[in-house]
Amino acid sequence: MKAKFSLLFSLLFSPALPAGAESLLFLEAQGVAGYSSMDRAVVWHSMSASEPMQKSSVGFDLLKKFSGDTGDTGTLAVQGRLARDPDAPNRLEPQLYNAYYRAKTPAAYIWAGHSRAAAGLESYFDTHGALLQALPMYGYGFDRDWGFGASRDFDWGDAALSLTSGTGMRARAAGNYLLSGRLARGVLNRDNYAAGFYFSSGKIPEMAGYKVLDGEERTYTAAGADGALLWNRWELRGDLRAGEKAGMRYVAGLGRLGLNLLEENRLKLEAQAVYSGMERMEGWALASGFSLAVTPALTWRALFEYEDAMHERRLVTQLYYYLPI
Amino acid sequence: MKKIFLALTALFLSAPAFAAVGCDLNDPDRDVARLFPGSTGYRTRYVSIKGSGGQPLLERVETRLGDKFKGLYETMDVPYTLYDIYKGKEVIGYIHGVNQKGEYGGIQVFLALDRAGLIKSFYIQKLTSRAARDLRAREFGSQFAGLALKDFEAYDPVAAKALPGSAPEKIKGPAKAGKDFAAVLRAVKKNLILLDEFVFSKKEK
Repeated sequence: MKAKFSLLFSLLFSPALPAGAESLLFLEAQGVAGYSSMDRAVVWHSMSASEPMQKSSVGFDLLKKFSGDTGDTGTLAVQGRLARDPDAPNRLEPQLYNAYYRAKTPAAYIWAGHSRAAAGLESYFDTHGALLQALPMYGYGFDRDWGFGASRDFDWGDAALSLTSGTGMRARAAGNYLLSGRLARGVLNRDNYAAGFYFSSGKIPEMAGYKVLDGEERTYTAAGADGALLWNRWELRGDLRAGEKAGMRYVAGLGRLGLNLLEENRLKLEAQAVYSGMERMEGWALASGFSLAVTPALTWRALFEYEDAMHERRLVTQLYYYLPI
Repeated sequence: MKKIFLALTALFLSAPAFAAVGCDLNDPDRDVARLFPGSTGYRTRYVSIKGSGGQPLLERVETRLGDKFKGLYETMDVPYTLYDIYKGKEVIGYIHGVNQKGEYGGIQVFLALDRAGLIKSFYIQKLTSRAARDLRAREFGSQFAGLALKDFEAYDPVAAKALPGSAPEKIKGPAKAGKDFAAVLRAVKKNLILLDEFVFSKKEK
Protein backbone atom coordinates (compact mmCIF):
# COMPACT_ATOMS: atom_id res chain seq x y z
CA MET A 1 0.00 0.00 0.00
CA LYS A 2 2.84 2.38 0.90
CA ALA A 3 4.41 1.82 -2.49
CA LYS A 4 1.14 2.62 -4.28
CA PHE A 5 0.68 5.86 -2.34
CA SER A 6 4.32 6.81 -2.99
CA LEU A 7 3.90 6.18 -6.71
CA LEU A 8 0.68 8.19 -6.79
CA PHE A 9 2.10 11.18 -4.96
CA SER A 10 5.42 11.12 -6.79
CA LEU A 11 3.42 11.94 -9.92
CA LEU A 12 2.78 15.34 -8.33
CA PHE A 13 6.34 16.32 -8.95
CA SER A 14 6.00 16.02 -12.74
CA PRO A 15 2.63 17.70 -13.16
CA ALA A 16 2.99 19.17 -16.67
CA LEU A 17 0.61 18.04 -19.38
CA PRO A 18 2.82 17.28 -22.38
CA ALA A 19 2.07 19.22 -25.54
CA GLY A 20 -0.54 17.34 -27.55
CA ALA A 21 -1.34 14.64 -24.99
CA GLU A 22 -4.20 12.28 -25.73
CA SER A 23 -5.04 11.66 -22.10
CA LEU A 24 -5.91 13.55 -18.95
CA LEU A 25 -5.08 12.28 -15.48
CA PHE A 26 -6.44 13.93 -12.36
CA LEU A 27 -5.58 13.24 -8.76
CA GLU A 28 -8.52 13.36 -6.39
CA ALA A 29 -8.39 13.53 -2.60
CA GLN A 30 -11.07 14.34 -0.07
CA GLY A 31 -11.54 14.50 3.65
CA VAL A 32 -15.08 14.05 4.99
CA ALA A 33 -16.29 14.40 8.57
CA GLY A 34 -19.55 15.22 10.27
CA TYR A 35 -21.92 14.72 13.18
CA SER A 36 -25.08 12.64 13.23
CA SER A 37 -27.79 13.25 15.81
CA MET A 38 -29.03 9.69 15.33
CA ASP A 39 -25.60 8.16 16.01
CA ARG A 40 -24.83 10.86 18.57
CA ALA A 41 -21.30 10.67 17.29
CA VAL A 42 -18.85 11.94 14.74
CA VAL A 43 -19.38 10.26 11.36
CA TRP A 44 -16.93 9.88 8.49
CA HIS A 45 -19.45 9.76 5.64
CA SER A 46 -21.90 12.21 4.12
CA MET A 47 -24.88 9.87 3.52
CA SER A 48 -24.85 6.46 5.19
CA ALA A 49 -21.92 4.20 5.90
CA SER A 50 -23.24 1.62 3.44
CA GLU A 51 -23.43 4.05 0.49
CA PRO A 52 -20.25 4.78 -1.45
CA MET A 53 -20.41 8.59 -1.55
CA GLN A 54 -18.92 10.58 0.16
CA LYS A 55 -16.09 9.28 2.35
CA SER A 56 -12.49 10.32 2.94
CA SER A 57 -10.56 8.97 0.00
CA VAL A 58 -7.70 9.31 -2.43
CA GLY A 59 -8.14 8.41 -6.06
CA PHE A 60 -7.58 9.22 -9.68
CA ASP A 61 -9.60 10.08 -12.76
CA LEU A 62 -8.21 9.07 -16.16
CA LEU A 63 -9.55 9.99 -19.57
CA LYS A 64 -7.76 8.67 -22.64
CA LYS A 65 -8.65 9.29 -26.27
CA PHE A 66 -7.89 6.78 -29.01
CA SER A 67 -7.53 7.91 -32.61
CA GLY A 68 -6.66 6.66 -36.07
CA ASP A 69 -5.63 8.28 -39.37
CA THR A 70 -8.96 10.01 -39.75
CA GLY A 71 -9.64 11.12 -36.18
CA ASP A 72 -10.92 9.88 -32.83
CA THR A 73 -12.21 6.35 -32.52
CA GLY A 74 -13.01 6.06 -28.82
CA THR A 75 -12.51 7.09 -25.22
CA LEU A 76 -11.37 5.13 -22.17
CA ALA A 77 -12.44 6.47 -18.76
CA VAL A 78 -11.29 5.02 -15.45
CA GLN A 79 -12.02 6.63 -12.12
CA GLY A 80 -11.19 4.94 -8.84
CA ARG A 81 -10.87 5.73 -5.18
CA LEU A 82 -9.60 4.13 -2.02
CA ALA A 83 -12.13 5.22 0.57
CA ARG A 84 -11.91 4.89 4.33
CA ASP A 85 -14.83 4.91 6.74
CA PRO A 86 -14.49 3.43 10.25
CA ASP A 87 -18.29 2.94 10.36
CA ALA A 88 -18.56 0.97 7.11
CA PRO A 89 -18.49 -2.84 6.80
CA ASN A 90 -15.35 -2.44 4.66
CA ARG A 91 -13.34 0.17 6.49
CA LEU A 92 -10.94 0.51 3.58
CA GLU A 93 -12.88 0.17 0.36
CA PRO A 94 -11.54 0.33 -3.21
CA GLN A 95 -14.25 2.01 -5.30
CA LEU A 96 -14.55 2.07 -9.06
CA TYR A 97 -16.79 4.70 -10.62
CA ASN A 98 -16.07 5.23 -14.33
CA ALA A 99 -14.56 2.14 -15.96
CA TYR A 100 -15.74 2.12 -19.54
CA TYR A 101 -14.69 2.32 -23.16
CA ARG A 102 -16.87 4.46 -25.38
CA ALA A 103 -16.58 3.88 -29.12
CA LYS A 104 -17.54 6.44 -31.73
CA THR A 105 -19.62 4.95 -34.53
CA PRO A 106 -21.46 6.72 -37.37
CA ALA A 107 -24.80 5.94 -35.74
CA ALA A 108 -24.14 6.53 -32.05
CA TYR A 109 -21.70 6.39 -29.17
CA ILE A 110 -21.54 2.89 -27.74
CA TRP A 111 -20.09 2.14 -24.31
CA ALA A 112 -19.24 -0.98 -22.35
CA GLY A 113 -18.15 -1.22 -18.72
CA HIS A 114 -19.17 0.77 -15.65
CA SER A 115 -20.93 3.97 -16.59
CA ARG A 116 -24.20 5.84 -16.33
CA ALA A 117 -27.45 4.05 -17.01
CA ALA A 118 -29.89 5.91 -19.25
CA ALA A 119 -32.28 7.07 -16.52
CA GLY A 120 -32.86 10.20 -14.50
CA LEU A 121 -30.83 13.21 -13.50
CA GLU A 122 -27.93 10.92 -12.65
CA SER A 123 -27.50 10.00 -16.32
CA TYR A 124 -25.87 13.40 -17.00
CA PHE A 125 -25.48 15.22 -13.67
CA ASP A 126 -22.05 14.53 -12.20
CA THR A 127 -22.13 14.37 -8.40
CA HIS A 128 -18.99 12.32 -7.89
CA GLY A 129 -17.40 15.03 -5.75
CA ALA A 130 -20.48 16.61 -4.21
CA LEU A 131 -22.09 16.22 -0.81
CA LEU A 132 -25.63 16.83 -2.05
CA GLN A 133 -26.62 13.73 -3.95
CA ALA A 134 -29.27 12.71 -6.47
CA LEU A 135 -31.88 9.93 -6.05
CA PRO A 136 -29.50 6.92 -6.40
CA MET A 137 -27.85 7.66 -3.03
CA TYR A 138 -31.36 7.64 -1.51
CA GLY A 139 -31.99 4.15 -2.87
CA TYR A 140 -33.66 4.87 -6.22
CA GLY A 141 -31.62 4.02 -9.31
CA PHE A 142 -27.88 3.78 -9.80
CA ASP A 143 -25.18 6.42 -10.05
CA ARG A 144 -23.11 3.99 -12.16
CA ASP A 145 -23.94 0.49 -13.35
CA TRP A 146 -22.15 -2.35 -15.17
CA GLY A 147 -23.22 -3.13 -18.70
CA PHE A 148 -23.60 -1.60 -22.14
CA GLY A 149 -25.18 1.49 -23.56
CA ALA A 150 -25.66 3.63 -26.61
CA SER A 151 -26.43 7.31 -27.01
CA ARG A 152 -26.91 9.75 -29.82
CA ASP A 153 -26.95 13.53 -29.70
CA PHE A 154 -29.32 15.47 -31.90
CA ASP A 155 -29.70 19.19 -32.51
CA TRP A 156 -32.73 19.17 -30.22
CA GLY A 157 -31.28 16.98 -27.43
CA ASP A 158 -30.26 13.37 -27.05
CA ALA A 159 -31.47 9.79 -26.81
CA ALA A 160 -29.86 7.02 -24.76
CA LEU A 161 -30.43 3.34 -24.10
CA SER A 162 -28.62 1.01 -21.70
CA LEU A 163 -28.66 -2.64 -20.66
CA THR A 164 -26.97 -2.99 -17.31
CA SER A 165 -26.72 -5.38 -14.40
CA GLY A 166 -28.90 -3.36 -12.02
CA THR A 167 -26.33 -3.80 -9.27
CA GLY A 168 -24.67 -0.38 -9.25
CA MET A 169 -21.13 -0.44 -7.87
CA ARG A 170 -20.78 -4.22 -7.83
CA ALA A 171 -20.66 -6.44 -10.92
CA ARG A 172 -22.99 -9.43 -10.59
CA ALA A 173 -24.50 -11.93 -13.01
CA ALA A 174 -27.26 -14.01 -11.39
CA GLY A 175 -30.14 -13.44 -13.75
CA ASN A 176 -30.22 -9.75 -12.93
CA TYR A 177 -30.60 -7.06 -15.61
CA LEU A 178 -31.87 -3.54 -16.06
CA LEU A 179 -33.04 -2.04 -19.33
CA SER A 180 -33.24 1.77 -19.38
CA GLY A 181 -34.02 4.42 -21.93
CA ARG A 182 -34.11 8.21 -21.85
CA LEU A 183 -35.17 10.85 -24.34
CA ALA A 184 -34.22 14.46 -23.61
CA ARG A 185 -34.79 17.86 -25.11
CA GLY A 186 -32.14 20.56 -24.67
CA VAL A 187 -28.44 20.44 -23.82
CA LEU A 188 -27.87 22.01 -20.41
CA ASN A 189 -24.47 23.55 -21.20
CA ARG A 190 -25.72 24.96 -24.50
CA ASP A 191 -29.40 25.74 -24.05
CA ASN A 192 -29.42 26.35 -20.28
CA TYR A 193 -32.12 23.71 -19.93
CA ALA A 194 -32.56 19.97 -20.35
CA ALA A 195 -35.71 17.95 -19.82
CA GLY A 196 -35.94 14.21 -20.13
CA PHE A 197 -38.36 11.33 -19.88
CA TYR A 198 -37.10 7.88 -18.98
CA PHE A 199 -38.01 4.36 -18.05
CA SER A 200 -36.23 1.41 -16.44
CA SER A 201 -37.33 -2.18 -16.16
CA GLY A 202 -35.59 -5.31 -14.96
CA LYS A 203 -34.85 -7.85 -12.26
CA ILE A 204 -32.38 -6.68 -9.64
CA PRO A 205 -31.17 -7.69 -6.18
CA GLU A 206 -31.37 -5.35 -3.19
CA MET A 207 -28.04 -3.51 -3.00
CA ALA A 208 -26.41 -0.87 -0.83
CA GLY A 209 -23.11 0.23 -2.31
CA TYR A 210 -21.03 -2.89 -2.82
CA LYS A 211 -23.11 -4.99 -0.44
CA VAL A 212 -25.86 -7.37 -1.56
CA LEU A 213 -28.63 -6.97 1.03
CA ASP A 214 -30.98 -9.48 -0.57
CA GLY A 215 -29.71 -11.75 -3.35
CA GLU A 216 -33.16 -12.56 -4.68
CA GLU A 217 -33.70 -10.81 -8.03
CA ARG A 218 -37.00 -8.93 -7.97
CA THR A 219 -38.85 -6.75 -10.41
CA TYR A 220 -37.65 -3.17 -10.59
CA THR A 221 -39.41 -0.54 -12.68
CA ALA A 222 -39.15 3.21 -12.91
CA ALA A 223 -40.84 5.75 -15.11
CA GLY A 224 -40.02 9.35 -14.61
CA ALA A 225 -39.09 12.80 -15.78
CA ASP A 226 -36.06 14.93 -14.97
CA GLY A 227 -35.15 18.48 -15.71
CA ALA A 228 -32.50 21.13 -15.16
CA LEU A 229 -32.63 24.87 -15.74
CA LEU A 230 -29.90 27.53 -15.52
CA TRP A 231 -30.96 31.17 -15.28
CA ASN A 232 -28.41 33.89 -14.53
CA ARG A 233 -27.13 32.99 -11.06
CA TRP A 234 -29.83 30.40 -10.40
CA GLU A 235 -29.91 26.65 -11.00
CA LEU A 236 -32.98 24.47 -10.67
CA ARG A 237 -33.00 20.68 -10.89
CA GLY A 238 -35.75 18.16 -10.48
CA ASP A 239 -36.39 14.44 -10.86
CA LEU A 240 -39.62 12.53 -10.26
CA ARG A 241 -39.98 8.79 -10.69
CA ALA A 242 -42.43 6.06 -9.77
CA GLY A 243 -42.47 2.30 -10.10
CA GLU A 244 -41.91 -0.94 -8.23
CA LYS A 245 -38.96 -1.99 -6.14
CA ALA A 246 -38.45 -5.00 -3.88
CA GLY A 247 -42.12 -5.94 -4.26
CA MET A 248 -43.41 -2.51 -3.25
CA ARG A 249 -44.72 0.48 -5.15
CA TYR A 250 -42.86 3.75 -4.75
CA VAL A 251 -42.79 7.38 -5.75
CA ALA A 252 -39.56 9.34 -5.34
CA GLY A 253 -38.82 12.94 -6.14
CA LEU A 254 -36.02 15.46 -5.87
CA GLY A 255 -36.01 19.22 -6.18
CA ARG A 256 -32.91 21.36 -5.86
CA LEU A 257 -32.38 25.10 -6.01
CA GLY A 258 -28.89 26.56 -6.36
CA LEU A 259 -27.59 30.13 -6.24
CA ASN A 260 -24.12 31.02 -7.57
CA LEU A 261 -22.35 33.91 -5.89
CA LEU A 262 -18.99 35.73 -5.82
CA GLU A 263 -16.51 36.19 -8.67
CA GLU A 264 -16.56 33.29 -11.12
CA ASN A 265 -19.35 31.63 -9.12
CA ARG A 266 -16.89 30.57 -6.46
CA LEU A 267 -19.66 30.16 -3.89
CA LYS A 268 -22.72 28.03 -4.49
CA LEU A 269 -25.62 27.86 -2.03
CA GLU A 270 -28.04 24.98 -2.46
CA ALA A 271 -31.22 23.65 -0.92
CA GLN A 272 -32.72 20.27 -1.73
CA ALA A 273 -35.81 18.29 -0.86
CA VAL A 274 -36.04 14.55 -1.53
CA TYR A 275 -39.28 12.64 -1.14
CA SER A 276 -38.96 8.93 -0.60
CA GLY A 277 -42.37 7.38 -1.09
CA MET A 278 -41.82 3.69 -0.56
CA GLU A 279 -45.03 2.03 0.61
CA ARG A 280 -45.34 2.29 4.42
CA MET A 281 -41.93 4.01 4.62
CA GLU A 282 -42.66 7.47 3.27
CA GLY A 283 -40.30 10.25 4.32
CA TRP A 284 -38.51 13.44 3.45
CA ALA A 285 -34.86 14.40 3.41
CA LEU A 286 -34.37 18.15 3.51
CA ALA A 287 -30.89 19.48 2.96
CA SER A 288 -28.99 22.68 2.42
CA GLY A 289 -25.35 23.31 1.83
CA PHE A 290 -22.64 25.40 0.29
CA SER A 291 -19.67 24.83 -1.96
CA LEU A 292 -16.75 27.27 -2.02
CA ALA A 293 -13.90 27.09 -4.53
CA VAL A 294 -11.01 28.07 -2.25
CA THR A 295 -8.46 27.63 -5.07
CA PRO A 296 -8.86 26.26 -8.59
CA ALA A 297 -8.14 22.80 -7.17
CA LEU A 298 -9.53 22.93 -3.64
CA THR A 299 -13.23 23.10 -2.81
CA TRP A 300 -14.75 23.33 0.65
CA ARG A 301 -18.28 22.00 1.02
CA ALA A 302 -20.69 21.65 3.90
CA LEU A 303 -24.11 20.08 4.20
CA PHE A 304 -26.92 20.02 6.74
CA GLU A 305 -29.54 17.33 6.20
CA TYR A 306 -32.68 16.38 8.10
CA GLU A 307 -34.26 12.99 7.45
CA ASP A 308 -37.70 12.79 9.01
CA ALA A 309 -38.05 9.00 8.91
CA MET A 310 -35.33 8.58 11.54
CA HIS A 311 -35.47 12.17 12.84
CA GLU A 312 -31.79 12.39 11.97
CA ARG A 313 -29.94 15.66 11.72
CA ARG A 314 -26.58 15.42 10.06
CA LEU A 315 -23.95 18.09 9.59
CA VAL A 316 -21.09 17.17 7.26
CA THR A 317 -18.12 19.05 5.88
CA GLN A 318 -15.71 18.11 3.14
CA LEU A 319 -12.40 19.32 1.73
CA TYR A 320 -12.14 18.19 -1.87
CA TYR A 321 -8.99 18.33 -3.96
CA TYR A 322 -8.95 17.65 -7.71
CA LEU A 323 -5.96 18.51 -9.83
CA PRO A 324 -4.59 17.62 -13.25
CA ILE A 325 -1.31 15.73 -13.34
CA MET B 1 -6.51 7.23 8.79
CA LYS B 2 -3.33 8.98 9.92
CA LYS B 3 -1.72 8.08 6.62
CA ILE B 4 -4.58 9.58 4.63
CA PHE B 5 -4.47 12.81 6.64
CA LEU B 6 -0.68 12.93 6.21
CA ALA B 7 -1.07 12.46 2.48
CA LEU B 8 -3.75 15.17 2.29
CA THR B 9 -1.63 17.55 4.33
CA ALA B 10 1.36 16.91 2.08
CA LEU B 11 -0.80 17.62 -0.96
CA PHE B 12 -2.11 20.92 0.36
CA LEU B 13 1.36 22.08 1.36
CA SER B 14 3.33 20.90 -1.63
CA ALA B 15 1.09 21.57 -4.60
CA PRO B 16 0.72 25.02 -6.10
CA ALA B 17 -2.69 26.30 -7.15
CA PHE B 18 -3.80 23.86 -9.82
CA ALA B 19 -6.78 24.24 -12.06
CA ALA B 20 -9.11 21.52 -13.22
CA VAL B 21 -11.26 23.57 -15.52
CA GLY B 22 -11.16 22.40 -19.13
CA CYS B 23 -13.33 23.36 -22.06
CA ASP B 24 -14.77 20.51 -24.12
CA LEU B 25 -17.41 20.50 -26.79
CA ASN B 26 -20.57 18.93 -25.35
CA ASP B 27 -20.95 16.63 -28.30
CA PRO B 28 -17.96 16.85 -30.64
CA ASP B 29 -19.64 14.73 -33.37
CA ARG B 30 -22.57 17.11 -33.66
CA ASP B 31 -20.64 20.33 -33.00
CA VAL B 32 -17.67 19.66 -35.31
CA ALA B 33 -19.96 18.86 -38.23
CA ARG B 34 -21.83 22.11 -37.65
CA LEU B 35 -18.80 24.33 -37.04
CA PHE B 36 -16.73 22.82 -39.82
CA PRO B 37 -18.97 21.81 -42.74
CA GLY B 38 -17.21 19.37 -45.03
CA SER B 39 -15.13 17.79 -42.26
CA THR B 40 -15.13 14.01 -41.91
CA GLY B 41 -13.61 13.56 -38.46
CA TYR B 42 -11.63 15.09 -35.63
CA ARG B 43 -8.83 14.17 -33.28
CA THR B 44 -8.82 15.35 -29.67
CA ARG B 45 -5.63 16.59 -28.03
CA TYR B 46 -5.04 18.09 -24.60
CA VAL B 47 -2.55 20.91 -24.17
CA SER B 48 -1.61 23.21 -21.33
CA ILE B 49 0.55 26.28 -20.95
CA LYS B 50 2.59 24.43 -18.37
CA GLY B 51 3.30 21.55 -20.75
CA SER B 52 3.89 23.77 -23.78
CA GLY B 53 6.32 26.30 -22.36
CA GLY B 54 5.57 26.97 -18.71
CA GLN B 55 6.09 30.35 -17.07
CA PRO B 56 7.83 32.00 -20.07
CA LEU B 57 4.88 31.01 -22.28
CA LEU B 58 2.38 32.30 -19.72
CA GLU B 59 4.17 35.65 -19.60
CA ARG B 60 4.27 35.83 -23.41
CA VAL B 61 0.55 35.04 -23.65
CA GLU B 62 -0.26 37.69 -21.03
CA THR B 63 1.85 40.29 -22.87
CA ARG B 64 0.16 39.50 -26.19
CA LEU B 65 -3.26 39.56 -24.53
CA GLY B 66 -2.56 42.82 -22.73
CA ASP B 67 -3.97 41.44 -19.49
CA LYS B 68 -2.98 39.09 -16.69
CA PHE B 69 -4.33 35.56 -16.40
CA LYS B 70 -6.35 35.30 -13.21
CA GLY B 71 -8.99 33.33 -11.37
CA LEU B 72 -10.22 29.75 -11.65
CA TYR B 73 -10.15 29.58 -15.45
CA GLU B 74 -6.70 31.00 -16.13
CA THR B 75 -3.86 29.07 -14.56
CA MET B 76 -0.91 27.39 -16.24
CA ASP B 77 -2.34 23.95 -15.56
CA VAL B 78 -5.72 24.38 -17.26
CA PRO B 79 -6.03 21.54 -19.77
CA TYR B 80 -7.19 23.01 -23.08
CA THR B 81 -8.96 20.67 -25.48
CA LEU B 82 -7.83 21.09 -29.06
CA TYR B 83 -9.65 19.43 -31.95
CA ASP B 84 -7.70 18.78 -35.16
CA ILE B 85 -10.31 18.73 -37.93
CA TYR B 86 -9.94 16.13 -40.68
CA LYS B 87 -11.19 15.78 -44.20
CA GLY B 88 -10.22 12.21 -44.96
CA LYS B 89 -6.67 11.94 -43.66
CA GLU B 90 -5.85 15.62 -44.11
CA VAL B 91 -6.04 18.19 -41.29
CA ILE B 92 -8.08 21.12 -42.62
CA GLY B 93 -8.40 23.20 -39.47
CA TYR B 94 -8.81 23.41 -35.72
CA ILE B 95 -11.47 23.99 -33.10
CA HIS B 96 -10.51 25.31 -29.69
CA GLY B 97 -12.48 26.63 -26.74
CA VAL B 98 -11.63 28.75 -23.73
CA ASN B 99 -13.35 29.55 -20.47
CA GLN B 100 -13.86 33.20 -19.69
CA LYS B 101 -15.27 34.89 -16.61
CA GLY B 102 -18.66 36.39 -17.43
CA GLU B 103 -21.16 38.36 -15.40
CA TYR B 104 -22.95 35.20 -14.20
CA GLY B 105 -20.15 32.64 -14.17
CA GLY B 106 -18.09 31.08 -16.91
CA ILE B 107 -18.57 31.58 -20.64
CA GLN B 108 -17.21 28.96 -23.05
CA VAL B 109 -16.14 30.49 -26.36
CA PHE B 110 -15.13 28.19 -29.23
CA LEU B 111 -13.49 29.19 -32.49
CA ALA B 112 -13.11 27.09 -35.63
CA LEU B 113 -10.06 28.16 -37.64
CA ASP B 114 -8.84 27.06 -41.03
CA ARG B 115 -5.18 26.16 -41.58
CA ALA B 116 -4.34 29.79 -42.33
CA GLY B 117 -5.68 30.88 -38.95
CA LEU B 118 -8.84 32.57 -40.22
CA ILE B 119 -12.01 32.18 -38.15
CA LYS B 120 -14.57 30.03 -39.94
CA SER B 121 -17.09 29.74 -37.11
CA PHE B 122 -17.73 31.25 -33.70
CA TYR B 123 -19.69 29.39 -31.05
CA ILE B 124 -20.67 30.24 -27.48
CA GLN B 125 -21.43 26.99 -25.67
CA LYS B 126 -21.98 27.68 -21.98
CA LEU B 127 -23.40 31.07 -21.06
CA THR B 128 -25.93 32.20 -18.50
CA SER B 129 -26.80 35.80 -19.23
CA ARG B 130 -29.80 37.98 -19.96
CA ALA B 131 -28.36 38.33 -23.46
CA ALA B 132 -27.55 34.64 -23.94
CA ARG B 133 -29.95 34.26 -26.85
CA ASP B 134 -28.57 37.33 -28.64
CA LEU B 135 -24.92 36.43 -28.03
CA ARG B 136 -25.56 32.95 -29.41
CA ALA B 137 -27.45 34.26 -32.44
CA ARG B 138 -26.08 33.56 -35.90
CA GLU B 139 -26.04 37.32 -36.66
CA PHE B 140 -23.67 38.00 -33.77
CA GLY B 141 -21.37 35.04 -34.42
CA SER B 142 -21.09 35.70 -38.13
CA GLN B 143 -19.31 39.02 -37.42
CA PHE B 144 -16.21 37.02 -36.45
CA ALA B 145 -16.00 35.00 -39.67
CA GLY B 146 -12.88 35.78 -41.71
CA LEU B 147 -11.09 37.55 -38.84
CA ALA B 148 -7.70 36.44 -37.54
CA LEU B 149 -5.33 37.11 -34.66
CA LYS B 150 -3.83 40.17 -36.40
CA ASP B 151 -7.26 41.84 -36.26
CA PHE B 152 -7.34 41.55 -32.46
CA GLU B 153 -3.71 42.35 -31.66
CA ALA B 154 -4.45 45.99 -30.82
CA TYR B 155 -7.65 45.23 -28.87
CA ASP B 156 -7.30 46.22 -25.20
CA PRO B 157 -9.28 43.74 -23.07
CA VAL B 158 -8.71 45.67 -19.83
CA ALA B 159 -10.29 48.88 -21.10
CA ALA B 160 -12.50 46.96 -23.57
CA LYS B 161 -11.33 49.37 -26.28
CA ALA B 162 -10.59 48.73 -29.94
CA LEU B 163 -8.76 50.99 -32.33
CA PRO B 164 -11.10 53.17 -34.40
CA GLY B 165 -11.86 51.45 -37.68
CA SER B 166 -10.42 48.09 -36.53
CA ALA B 167 -12.34 44.83 -36.93
CA PRO B 168 -13.20 44.44 -33.21
CA GLU B 169 -14.50 48.02 -33.13
CA LYS B 170 -16.95 47.15 -35.91
CA ILE B 171 -18.36 44.14 -34.04
CA LYS B 172 -21.77 45.11 -32.67
CA GLY B 173 -22.72 43.64 -29.32
CA PRO B 174 -26.31 42.96 -28.27
CA ALA B 175 -27.81 45.85 -26.30
CA LYS B 176 -28.47 43.70 -23.22
CA ALA B 177 -25.05 41.98 -23.19
CA GLY B 178 -23.27 44.54 -20.97
CA LYS B 179 -20.07 43.16 -19.48
CA ASP B 180 -20.56 39.82 -21.22
CA PHE B 181 -19.87 41.42 -24.62
CA ALA B 182 -16.44 42.62 -23.46
CA ALA B 183 -15.85 39.19 -21.89
CA VAL B 184 -16.58 37.51 -25.23
CA LEU B 185 -14.11 39.77 -27.08
CA ARG B 186 -11.44 39.05 -24.48
CA ALA B 187 -12.14 35.32 -24.84
CA VAL B 188 -11.81 35.52 -28.64
CA LYS B 189 -8.45 37.29 -28.39
CA LYS B 190 -7.22 34.85 -25.74
CA ASN B 191 -8.41 31.90 -27.83
CA LEU B 192 -6.59 33.18 -30.95
CA ILE B 193 -3.36 33.77 -29.01
CA LEU B 194 -3.44 30.31 -27.43
CA LEU B 195 -4.13 28.67 -30.78
CA ASP B 196 -1.22 30.60 -32.24
CA GLU B 197 1.05 29.40 -29.44
CA PHE B 198 -0.20 25.80 -29.38
CA VAL B 199 -0.55 25.26 -33.14
CA PHE B 200 0.48 27.92 -35.65
CA SER B 201 3.77 29.06 -34.06
CA LYS B 202 4.84 25.45 -33.67
CA LYS B 203 4.13 24.76 -37.35
CA GLU B 204 6.34 27.68 -38.41
CA LYS B 205 9.34 26.41 -36.41
